[in-house]
Amino acid sequence: MTRLTFSEIDHTVLETLRPAGRGYWTAVGILFAGVLVGASCWAYQIATGIGVGGQNIPVAWGTYLINFVFWVGIAHSGTLISAILHLLRARWRNPIARAAETMTVFAVCTAGLFPFIHLGRVWVVHYMLPLPNQRTLWPNFQSPLMFDVVAISTYLTVSSLFWYTGMLPDLARVRDTAEGFRKRVFTILSLGWTGTHEQWRHYTRIYLFFAALATPLVVSVHSVVSWDFALGIVPGWHTTIFAPYFVAGAIHSGLAMVLTLMIPLRRIFGYERLITLHVLESVAKTIILTGLIVGFAYGTELFVAWYSRNIVEMETFRWRLTGEYAYGFWLMVLCNVAVPILFFFRRIRTSIPWLFVISIIVNIGMWFERFVIIIGAVAHDFLPHAWGLYGPTWVELGIMLGSFSLFFFLFMLFCKHLPSVSMTEMKETLVEGSGDGY
Amino acid sequence: MVTEVYVMGLFKDENRAAQAVEELRRPPTAWTVHGVHSPFPSRALAEAMHVKKSRVGWFTLAGGIIGFFTGFALAAFTALRWKLIVSGKPIVALVPFVIVGFEFTILFAILGNLMGFLTQARLPRLANLACYDPRCSGEHFGILASCSATDKDHLCAFFTERGGVIRVLD
Repeated sequence: MTRLTFSEIDHTVLETLRPAGRGYWTAVGILFAGVLVGASCWAYQIATGIGVGGQNIPVAWGTYLINFVFWVGIAHSGTLISAILHLLRARWRNPIARAAETMTVFAVCTAGLFPFIHLGRVWVVHYMLPLPNQRTLWPNFQSPLMFDVVAISTYLTVSSLFWYTGMLPDLARVRDTAEGFRKRVFTILSLGWTGTHEQWRHYTRIYLFFAALATPLVVSVHSVVSWDFALGIVPGWHTTIFAPYFVAGAIHSGLAMVLTLMIPLRRIFGYERLITLHVLESVAKTIILTGLIVGFAYGTELFVAWYSRNIVEMETFRWRLTGEYAYGFWLMVLCNVAVPILFFFRRIRTSIPWLFVISIIVNIGMWFERFVIIIGAVAHDFLPHAWGLYGPTWVELGIMLGSFSLFFFLFMLFCKHLPSVSMTEMKETLVEGSGDGY
Repeated sequence: MVTEVYVMGLFKDENRAAQAVEELRRPPTAWTVHGVHSPFPSRALAEAMHVKKSRVGWFTLAGGIIGFFTGFALAAFTALRWKLIVSGKPIVALVPFVIVGFEFTILFAILGNLMGFLTQARLPRLANLACYDPRCSGEHFGILASCSATDKDHLCAFFTERGGVIRVLD
């Protein structure tokens, strides 16, 4: 196989920005229709009341919280790929870093909608912000829910800035090849970037700091999300393992989503020479690791419940394995731990259809993991007379459909309007030691 | 009056460009190197230009320190405005407020980082495009040098002899 050249990289990526065909706009239209379904369901809920959802006593947190945690989790591997693997100098991440970062931004945006949706009276959302008011009432920053407001807002800001700043050299490349109105738009977006040694000198430094700061941030954000549960004195939630367990699970689901997005992207845009099989295989190997960590966490939870001899804790986990939602538990074990083990076989992790199918299975499994944790714990806690079950209503399912549609809708728009593979970082991979001199 | 002429030498090869920069900068020289443009952060060019380490880190550090105290102070201030004991925790509770402080540390450090970048790299600045060749974002390494009008042919010949393409900028 011939070696990649700079011009081939540019040509391949810039070709994706050409005007789209009918198939693309049909797909965008279908996804937009899904977004409208979600928006209509939310509007109906606002007009009627939060009671149109299936939340009840004792299960007060339903699919809205499940989807919130799911989307925040999806966001995490984007930061893993763009920041942590950058610090580790893992160059295989270069072809997928841009798309993974984009996935992060859109997933956080989608996740951020759910607290608003779950709030019911969304017009009083400003109560969560520390704004002066006549009654001197302020948010309680001792609450993990307020940690979450701060953490998610920070994460959205940081990941958006990281994404945009990292794209500056590529925006300049698009500007230099565009004409007319597009050129004017990209001239503004690229801020006058010309790739001088002075600009690179500062750019390489800030990129390093972005990565170094995003790394502890990503760990803290999902730890904070886990404390929404772990700080509640509920059997099945009140455990110190939750923070690392959630972080590992977040990266596990996010990596699976990277594969789910990258495989069609690679095929549709002819990225085979840039996003090579080696890159996808490396993601699959990382999924083996995160899958094993998640499996270890499942086992530890069960062991600690048994070892504690606490009857409430033991009953919670007995019910989790054998009760009404046992299907969710076994599905999550199967999808998140057992199926990814197949990636130990080289033939499977180098087969595109297998990679794609397993990535979707892991995504399903990770959604059910959140279902088991969030619903299962409160449905069956201390008082037997207060036990109850939960099922999502059509309004919740519509909003969930809307959230998935919104995520893929935004991603589809991104793919055709901005460079979905970093041309700069791809060029760096061709030159040994690039960037080190700064 | 001696007028100054700007000439850009465009090279496809990174090492040739770096070598040309070194020769251009070697004293005694009648030519001034104003900058080099590259499609990625080139190590060879950085060494040829004797690039110093960027100081944006100070902005990042300052942002981080300000952020921590801002976050902690905000949490403490809001708690002190309504002294309600929650879960037996002290009004100004260190552990939860450090979490708020930590998130603000990262947020402000990133904002400082970005501000440092924009001020140090002098962006946004659309005037930069006046002395620039669009090929430099693709596969060329551009060296922008100036000389007196009488020396222009020498400078052009210098770039051409080393395999470069010439562009004289008005």
